Amino acid sequence: MALKRPVDLPVRWDLSVQPEGTVRLAFAGELDNVSTPVAWPILERELAGIKVMRLEVDVRQLASCDSAGLALLYHLSVGGMTPGATANVTGLSPELQHLFGSFSTEDFRALQAHEPACSPLVEDVGAATWSWLCDLRQQVEFLGEVTLGVFKGLVRPRRLRWGEVLRVFELAGVNALPIVSLLTFLVGMVIAFESAQPLAELGAQVFVANLLGLVMSRELGPVMAAIMLAGRSGSAFAAELGTMKVNEELNALQTMGLSPVQFLVVQRVVAGILLAPVLTIYAMYAGLLGGIPVLLGLGFPLRMVLHQVQSGLHFGDLAEGLSKSIVFGGIVALVSCLRGLQTGEGPRAVGESTTRSVVSSILLIILADAVFAAVTYTLRK
Amino acid sequence: MSGPTHSLIEVRDLTIGYGDRVVLEGINFAVRRGEVFAILGASGSGKSTLLKHLIGLYPPMRGDVLISGASLVRAEGDERLRILRRFGVLYQSGALFGSLTTVENVRLPLDEFTDLPEAAKDLVALSKLRLVGLESAATKLPADLSGGMQKRAGIARAIVLDPCVLFLDEPSAGLDPITSAGLDALIRELARGLGITFVMVTHELASIYAVADRVVMLDPKARGIVAEGAPSWLREHAPEPWVRQFLNREVA
Repeated sequence: MALKRPVDLPVRWDLSVQPEGTVRLAFAGELDNVSTPVAWPILERELAGIKVMRLEVDVRQLASCDSAGLALLYHLSVGGMTPGATANVTGLSPELQHLFGSFSTEDFRALQAHEPACSPLVEDVGAATWSWLCDLRQQVEFLGEVTLGVFKGLVRPRRLRWGEVLRVFELAGVNALPIVSLLTFLVGMVIAFESAQPLAELGAQVFVANLLGLVMSRELGPVMAAIMLAGRSGSAFAAELGTMKVNEELNALQTMGLSPVQFLVVQRVVAGILLAPVLTIYAMYAGLLGGIPVLLGLGFPLRMVLHQVQSGLHFGDLAEGLSKSIVFGGIVALVSCLRGLQTGEGPRAVGESTTRSVVSSILLIILADAVFAAVTYTLRK
Repeated sequence: MSGPTHSLIEVRDLTIGYGDRVVLEGINFAVRRGEVFAILGASGSGKSTLLKHLIGLYPPMRGDVLISGASLVRAEGDERLRILRRFGVLYQSGALFGSLTTVENVRLPLDEFTDLPEAAKDLVALSKLRLVGLESAATKLPADLSGGMQKRAGIARAIVLDPCVLFLDEPSAGLDPITSAGLDALIRELARGLGITFVMVTHELASIYAVADRVVMLDPKARGIVAEGAPSWLREHAPEPWVRQFLNREVA
């Protein structure tokens, strides 16, 4: 279908075919980034129907022309719409001539010929493996450095910067209580609802309270608290250390003879290890509180519910949950700080290290939980 | 080439600051079409803050900024967008998008604001890169460019939609003297060759003497402009002695 020139197009042109294949193209009006996109395909279609040997483009009558218009004129001048024809553009002002001179077919061809580098699969696999091994090595070194830092802190507690530990306690602990309360309360409620039906079929609905106590103390209390610690506080550790690295604050510490691990990481690890059990106990209670209204709604008196929870729970269950939480707290703090210190360069680096810290923390928490489950099962037998 | 004519930018009774803190109070000046205008002052005098208000990033406490007679402060919606398209901005770091190649960075405004054919967009973007001398770095990522090259690429992106004004925030910051001189030459070439008006914030005296037609000097104590004129004239005749010291690089 032939393209027609819109009547309100700010640019006009006169196309006249002269003897011996000479075509004269005279522009008038405004050739800018609004009119050029419309004019380009129309002109292309009009010229396609003519056998052109020589194209003479006259722009003397143009009231204005910007870079987009010049791109069209350049495209015409290099035979982009009239292959094989010679072409020239006349009537450009000195300023436009200056701009016109900056267009280049060589640059355009080089860009079209450029293909993004694509490495072979084997190379990619090798690079990924090498990167993983380097990361593993860094993790081992980091773990050693932090352990040494914690021991140094224990030997000389005054050097541990307890103010920073308390600040982390407040940020990662006290400020996290509302969200921990809400989530674990709701999880407790869900478990009570979900378990009530199958246990009722077995005539054991009263054991919902026992189940809730066990699940919250052994499993969901520590896991939920750790996941929230990773998502809320671990990401903040990684982002904080990452930003410090981008701002060269870590370099400043090193040149002052201070170890970033000793100065920044040890406090967060100590705070994480001490904080996780506290949050876990809180999460256990909040979960139990979430299940109680469900049990009351099922017709069990509060006294009975509390008795069932008490009788179903043993010190070992609580100890298992708390020992898990200590490990989880250490994992979250260590991984988040490591990812923060591994932050690269550029604006995306901090975001990447924050994401990596949350993903790695949750992965390792679940991995450690599985190990705990296997070990405690074996010990109980 | 036509010389500087009437005002392109007018700053009227402008008071700016952060929160309750006033940084500059009741300042007035005008930038003529086609000139290279520099905003000068010691660290903390409010140069960059003023620039951010001139380009409409922050609303002023009082006063107005007119670009080609249109109020940037009062404009909204499409009218504001029309005014914003009349100028380009080069930020201190170049502010290139790290995930895009140099040519993709330069092409971005064309992709967003025009319906040009793909070939035309590439042609225009490459022509701007050639203008700033970066045609060979078109397919490189910003991370692979030096500081000076990043600023050149930032200028190419800023001029891709043919703005009439280009605002530069500390263009020479962090560059070695040779690269800085190259950037000054580029600014001169774009101003004289293409008639672009430049408004630059800087405290690099060498750059000012090399490119600026006029400067305004900001004083943090007076919270306003203390001197205005051609830099070489101010160096000798500025009424405030500290302005002469500043421009002559003398220690008080």
